[in-house]
Amino acid sequence: MNIRVFFLVIVCTGPMVGWPARAQQPSVALPQSGDVEALKHQMLEMQAGLKQIQIQHQREVSALRAEVESLRRVIDDLRKPVATGGEGSFPTTDESVAAPSGPHGAPSAAPAAAAPGFPTTDAAVAAAPGAATPAWLSGPITIAGGGKTFLNLSLDAQFAGAVSTERHLDRLEVGDHDPQQRGFNARNTELALDGAVDPYFEGFANIVFKLDNDNETSVEVEEAFMQTTTLPWSLQAKGGQFFAPFGRLNPQHPHVWDFVDTPLVSGRLLGPDGLRGVGTQWSWLTPLPWYSQIALAIQNGNGGTGFSFRNQGDGGVFYNRTTFDRGLGGVDDLVFIPRLESSFDLSSTHTLLVGASGAFGPNDTGKSARTEIYGADLFYKWKSAHAEGGWPFVKWQTEALGRHFEADRGVDDQFPVRETFDDWGVYSQVVWGFYKGWAAGLRGDVLHMEASDYTDDPERQSRWRIAPDVTWYPTEFSKFRLQYNHDFLEANHFMHSGNADSVFLQFEFSLGAHGAHKF
Amino acid sequence: MRRAKSFLTALAGVLALVSSAHATLNVVATLPDFGALATEIGGDKVEVTVLAKATEDSHFVDARPSFIVKLRNADVLIEGGAELETGWLPPLLQNARNEKIATGAPGRVVAAQGLRLMNVPTDVTRAAGDVHALGNPHYMIDPIIAKTVAEHIAHAFAACDAANAATYEANYRTFAATVDARLQEWGKTLLPFKGANVVAYHDSWPYLAHRFGLTIDTFLEPKPGIPPSPSHLADVIDKMKAQHSKAIILEPFHNRKIAEKVAASTGAKIIDAAQYPGALPNTETYVGLIDALVARIAAALGGQ
Repeated sequence: MNIRVFFLVIVCTGPMVGWPARAQQPSVALPQSGDVEALKHQMLEMQAGLKQIQIQHQREVSALRAEVESLRRVIDDLRKPVATGGEGSFPTTDESVAAPSGPHGAPSAAPAAAAPGFPTTDAAVAAAPGAATPAWLSGPITIAGGGKTFLNLSLDAQFAGAVSTERHLDRLEVGDHDPQQRGFNARNTELALDGAVDPYFEGFANIVFKLDNDNETSVEVEEAFMQTTTLPWSLQAKGGQFFAPFGRLNPQHPHVWDFVDTPLVSGRLLGPDGLRGVGTQWSWLTPLPWYSQIALAIQNGNGGTGFSFRNQGDGGVFYNRTTFDRGLGGVDDLVFIPRLESSFDLSSTHTLLVGASGAFGPNDTGKSARTEIYGADLFYKWKSAHAEGGWPFVKWQTEALGRHFEADRGVDDQFPVRETFDDWGVYSQVVWGFYKGWAAGLRGDVLHMEASDYTDDPERQSRWRIAPDVTWYPTEFSKFRLQYNHDFLEANHFMHSGNADSVFLQFEFSLGAHGAHKF
Repeated sequence: MRRAKSFLTALAGVLALVSSAHATLNVVATLPDFGALATEIGGDKVEVTVLAKATEDSHFVDARPSFIVKLRNADVLIEGGAELETGWLPPLLQNARNEKIATGAPGRVVAAQGLRLMNVPTDVTRAAGDVHALGNPHYMIDPIIAKTVAEHIAHAFAACDAANAATYEANYRTFAATVDARLQEWGKTLLPFKGANVVAYHDSWPYLAHRFGLTIDTFLEPKPGIPPSPSHLADVIDKMKAQHSKAIILEPFHNRKIAEKVAASTGAKIIDAAQYPGALPNTETYVGLIDALVARIAAALGGQ
């Protein structure tokens, strides 16, 4: 057996080994029987192989055919809705509700590539709603749903050009931010900062830069205080330097005023800087169904911002008296400012706000001299239900103040007499926003200072004023105001009567966070 | 002793009445679209108060003191966020004295949270007008976004009032199903006008344009918040003629005279539209509002 196998191998490999040798020989040798067998065998093998390949090929072809058929069916299905224009194709089916896109006015590319299937079948309009609340105390806290910020910052600057028949405009105008000289004035560049301090407090500051008549800069910390956000029982407290809650105008910053200058009664009774000081204020929002708030502020009441109180006056003299440096002897030496205010919605477009205020404290003309100021204020506003950008509207504001001032005899009783001054004043102003961006106003001022035969302070002159104005707001962030003042000053024991006419052109810009104003 | 007992029972009865009277959730919504959704989701379990009027421009609402009382009494506050109410809501909240609606509290719903807004500006400068730094905040006009906001509201109601969570969930599902069904019909109605150019007074319609395939990118305002100037209006008229714009979409507080002038010059129709339920007749619900808008748009674009 082995020999046969061996012989077979020799025969099979023989021709292969001998092939090259044969090739070299030109002469053709006769095929031997072993070679033929081998060739036959090979042929059979090749045939079998070919058959197998054929079978495989056929299998593959039929599989491909089937695939093509099914794809064709799918395409036909897809084609159908496009052809008939039915519900499968419009509108946008983008997965996301909206993608953040480029600059204003450039819509994102996603909607342009409208895929079939309508209406939009986007599964995820957004990420999980209610996300993005801070998880830790020092995380950025969003204020009123706005952008993430720790601090809102804005700058508001007011300027005024002034002409007047009165040479000493600073004697005619009663407020510290009013135009005080002929020519150009820049007396109110206000930096306002506010933000959430933490979950319990909000912080506010108003720093005002003024250029005086010699173009020297002075800085005023007008307000800087913290205020609670979540005290129970509808209470709210604030502490720091702030405007006393007296009347309507006193707590307002000049950039929201409807006129260029301070009303006579506010400037002369509450002071050129308004009544403000360092202290604390507590307020309670009553459970009544309409807005009704009771507040009490307690402040130092000293300096020029406590004008009718512990104010030493210019050069230590106030109403001709040499003033005491009282200091704080007891609780009685603080100024107490209570206020009650209520608001009524007369209809969906008419609102009324009324208030009563008081301010009680010592003054520095005597060891036990006291000052009492009383105020009543009324504010009414109508705004159209279809107001465009806030226009049209009508606002009417009136305040009446009365002050009982015990003017003692000063240090060492230097002044000959003790007097009590009952001074009072009223102002009333109407503003009509007649067309978007424009408002016309008219204000009348009356100030009555009690006559005295002994005190010749020029600020004690009774007077009245009428002031029409027109304001143009190109946008909410800038304004131009033209105002005409006619002042009449009454004669008294020491002063002649007088008239003065002034014209102011005020211009203002504001930068930064969108300031929102109280009503 | 007997008098004391009867007094105590009377007191208990009064207290029970009072406490049951407070069983409803006090919901305050800044704008009428949120109010409409709150009513859909809350049903009779909530008492909804809306601050702004339906015909009002939401950027310029007066912060009336009476709103402070409403916010003080609220269990839930729904606001739009994205700087929409930034001109009037902050001072109200500063005085609201209500920790239930403080930032981060479960009763404080900022509807824009979690949404991806359109047209977020790359440069925030007021030289471009009164830009919205966080993107276009008029997102509620898109029904699919309204569904998401409704879900957000339902979660908030459930968080503040767990006892009725199932009701809020069910009401949300009903609302979502209604919107889904109506979407098909709205789409059919507006399909013939796909790609049509519509002019708007103010850029408050991008979400509607995106959802229903309209092109609303020409405005009578040259920049947001800037009143139309004669030269800009002339450009708009030329553009309208070139693009064959057939309609101008106007909100209740816009200057109709200006729009009428432009319409007269171009033969376009004015669409009296609104973004808030209640401003147009028979639009007290959100779905009713979109129904009316779709019908008016189709009428203006389809009519001769």
